[in-house]
Amino acid sequence: MFEDLSWIYQIPPRRLALLSIVVFVGFYWAGAILLRPFFRLFVRSTPGGNDIVGYILSCFCVFYGLLLGLIAVTAYQNVAEASANVTREAAALSALYEDVSRYPEPFGRNLRWLLRDYTRYVIKYAWPLQREGIIPQEGTIRAEAFHDRLLDFQPTTPAEQILHAEALRQLNHFLECRRMRLFSVKSGLPPAMWYVMILGAVLNITLCWMFDMRLLAHFVLGGIIAAYMGTMMYLIIDMNQPFRGDVSVTSEPFELLYQRMNED
Amino acid sequence: MASHPAPRRTPAAVTGRIPRRTALGRGAAATLAAARALAPTLFVGCSLGIPERARTVPVGLLHSQTGPLATSATPLRDIELHAFELCNAAGGILGRTVHLSAPDPRSRADLHVARARRLLDAGAVAVFGCWTSQSRKAVLPVFEERRTPLLYPVQYEGNESSPWVIYGGSVPNQQVLPAIDWLTGPEGGERKKIFLLGSDYVFPRTANFIVKKALAARDLAPVGELYLPLEQRDFKAAVARIVAAGADCVLNTVNGDGNIGLFAALAAARVDSERVPVVSTSIGETELQTLLPEQVRGHFAVASYFQSIDSEANRGWIGGFRREFGHDRVTGDAMEADWCLVHLWKAAVEKAGSFAGDDVREALRDGIEFAGPGGTVRFDPKTQHCTRSFRVGRIRSDRQFDIVHASPAPIEPDPYPQIAFPGWKCDWTADGLTRGAEVPIDGDV
Repeated sequence: MFEDLSWIYQIPPRRLALLSIVVFVGFYWAGAILLRPFFRLFVRSTPGGNDIVGYILSCFCVFYGLLLGLIAVTAYQNVAEASANVTREAAALSALYEDVSRYPEPFGRNLRWLLRDYTRYVIKYAWPLQREGIIPQEGTIRAEAFHDRLLDFQPTTPAEQILHAEALRQLNHFLECRRMRLFSVKSGLPPAMWYVMILGAVLNITLCWMFDMRLLAHFVLGGIIAAYMGTMMYLIIDMNQPFRGDVSVTSEPFELLYQRMNED
Repeated sequence: MASHPAPRRTPAAVTGRIPRRTALGRGAAATLAAARALAPTLFVGCSLGIPERARTVPVGLLHSQTGPLATSATPLRDIELHAFELCNAAGGILGRTVHLSAPDPRSRADLHVARARRLLDAGAVAVFGCWTSQSRKAVLPVFEERRTPLLYPVQYEGNESSPWVIYGGSVPNQQVLPAIDWLTGPEGGERKKIFLLGSDYVFPRTANFIVKKALAARDLAPVGELYLPLEQRDFKAAVARIVAAGADCVLNTVNGDGNIGLFAALAAARVDSERVPVVSTSIGETELQTLLPEQVRGHFAVASYFQSIDSEANRGWIGGFRREFGHDRVTGDAMEADWCLVHLWKAAVEKAGSFAGDDVREALRDGIEFAGPGGTVRFDPKTQHCTRSFRVGRIRSDRQFDIVHASPAPIEPDPYPQIAFPGWKCDWTADGLTRGAEVPIDGDV
C-alpha cells in the first residue's frame, strides 16, 4: 500500500498540506454525520459516558502524540543525516579535486575532467532521479572511470607517492560517502509504522465521534483535532524520503563545488 | 381455512441477486480502489494530463567510459549530452523530451552487444555509439534485427554498408587515401618508405589493405607492417622495427591509450618528427590531452575537423561546449561528426514526424544537410554516409593543430573504394548492396 505513493511527492507542498488537512477533517466530518448516531447510543446507555470517553481519549492522545512526535523526529533525523552525507561527499570530492590538481600533466588535467564530469552528472542527472525516488546508476560509471585513471598513474618521486596515497585514501572516503547517499535515496519509514500511525488516527477520531455533543460542536472541536493530525501527517510524509518533497536534501554542495571547479 | 406456509427466501445463488451485505462490501471496495487509482490524477495538478515519463523519448548512448577506449569515446558521450540538453531546453523533439541512457560497454565488444540489447529493450528509438569497428560490427546484427538506427560517428575503414547504420565519420576515400596522396606528393615531402602501424583489429587492417592498394598503384610498397593488441602499452619493440626498416613516415592507426606508449617510445628512441613524421588517423585533440607535448609536437594527424578551424560557427560551438563542460575541454573530429549526426537525426525525425526507424530512414532518402562547426555536412542516402572534408594538421606545442592542408570541398563518401573492393557498391535508394568478388584483406596486394 505504501510502496507506490510517488505521486504524492509530485503535489506542491502547500497543496499537499491542504490535501492532508482536508482528508482528515473531511473524514472526521463525514463520520460525525454518518457514524456518530450509532456511537452516541453506546455513550448514552452508559452513565457518565462522556467522562469515560474523555479519560480514554486523553490517555490515547498522549500515546499517539508521543508516537507522532517520535516518528517526526526520526524522519527529520533521516533527512539531516542524508544532508550531512551529501555535504561529506561534496567535501571529499573537493579534497580529491585539490589532490589531483597537483598531479603532473597530462594526468592531472584528465583526472580533473573526470571529477568535473562526475559532479555535473550528480547535479544534472542524478538529483532529478533521486527526487523521483530512483537510485541513479550512471554515477558509478563515472566514479569507476576516475578510479581506473587514477590507478593508471605510476608515481616516480617520493612526493608523488605521498600525493598518490593521499588521493587514493580520499577516493575511498568519497566512494563511501557516495554509497551512503545512494542507500539513503530509498530510505523512509517502514510500512508497519505507517499502519500504526493510520490506525492510531482512525481510533483517535472514533473516540471523538463517541462524544455526546451537538453536531456543530463536533464539526468545530473535532475538526480542529483532525486538522492538526493532518498537518502532522503532512510533515511526516514530506520528510519521509530525504530527497523528495519540500523538506529534502538539495544538490547545493555539489553546485557550489562545480562552480568552483569551473572557475579554476 | 388452511394456513399457507410463510414464503421461503430463495437463495441468492438461485435468483442471481447479490445479497445486500456483499453488494455493500463490493461497493466499498470498488470505491476505495477507484479513489486510490484516481488520486494521482485528481491531486497532482488536478488534471488528466499525461504523466511526465510518457512525454519522453528514450535515446541510447553507447560509448566506452572505462577501459582503453574511454579517453577517446567519453567525449562523444559528452557532446551528445550537450546536443540533446540543448534540444530539450528548446522544447525537445516532436514535443517530447529526450531521455538519455548511457551504459558503459567497458571497451569490450561483447559488452557492446549486451548494452545495446539493454538499450533497445528499454525502448531506445536510436542509439549513438561505438568507437571501434570491432564493436560496431558486433552490435550491427542487433540493430538490423530490431530495425532501429545506430548512429556511428567515428571515421572507419569502409567496406560495410548497413541500412540500419547511419555513418557520420570519414571513410578511406575521405581520409586515408587523400592522406597517401598528400604524403607521397610534394606537400607531404614525397615520402616513399611508409611503415604501417596499427592496433590489431578490423579498422587498421582494412585501412592498411586499402593503403597498400593505393601505394601499389604508385609502384610503392610499405617498408613494414605491424599490428599490436588494443591493450598494448609497450611500443619499444615496434619503434625499433620502424627504425630498423628505415621508414621515412609512419601511418599510425593505433587506437586508444596505446598511443601514449607509442609516442613515449618514439621520443625515447629520438625519432625526429621532421625526418620520420607519424601521421595518425585516430588521434585528435582529445587524445593529445593524454600525451606529452614534447613527444607529439611536429607529428601529423589526418581528419575532417580540427579545433583550430578558424570560423565563427566553430568558435561558437567550442564556446558553447566549454561553457557547459569546462573551459579546458577540447573538441575533435569524432565529436564534430557526432554533433552533426545528432542534428541530422533530429532533422530526419522532425521531417518524418515520427521516431520509428523505418520512417526516419524514409525521411533521409532525399538527403539532409546540416551546417556543422567544420562546414556543411550532407547525408548521402545512397551510402548512408556523410560528406566530409579532408584536412591534415601538424601538432603544436599546445596540443592543438596547425592545419597544413585542406581539401577544397567536402568529399563524397565511397565505402567501397574500387581500388580495393572492385565490383562492390551500395545504393540504399535503389538496389541496396551490390556485391563484387570477396576480397581477403589479409591477402597479398
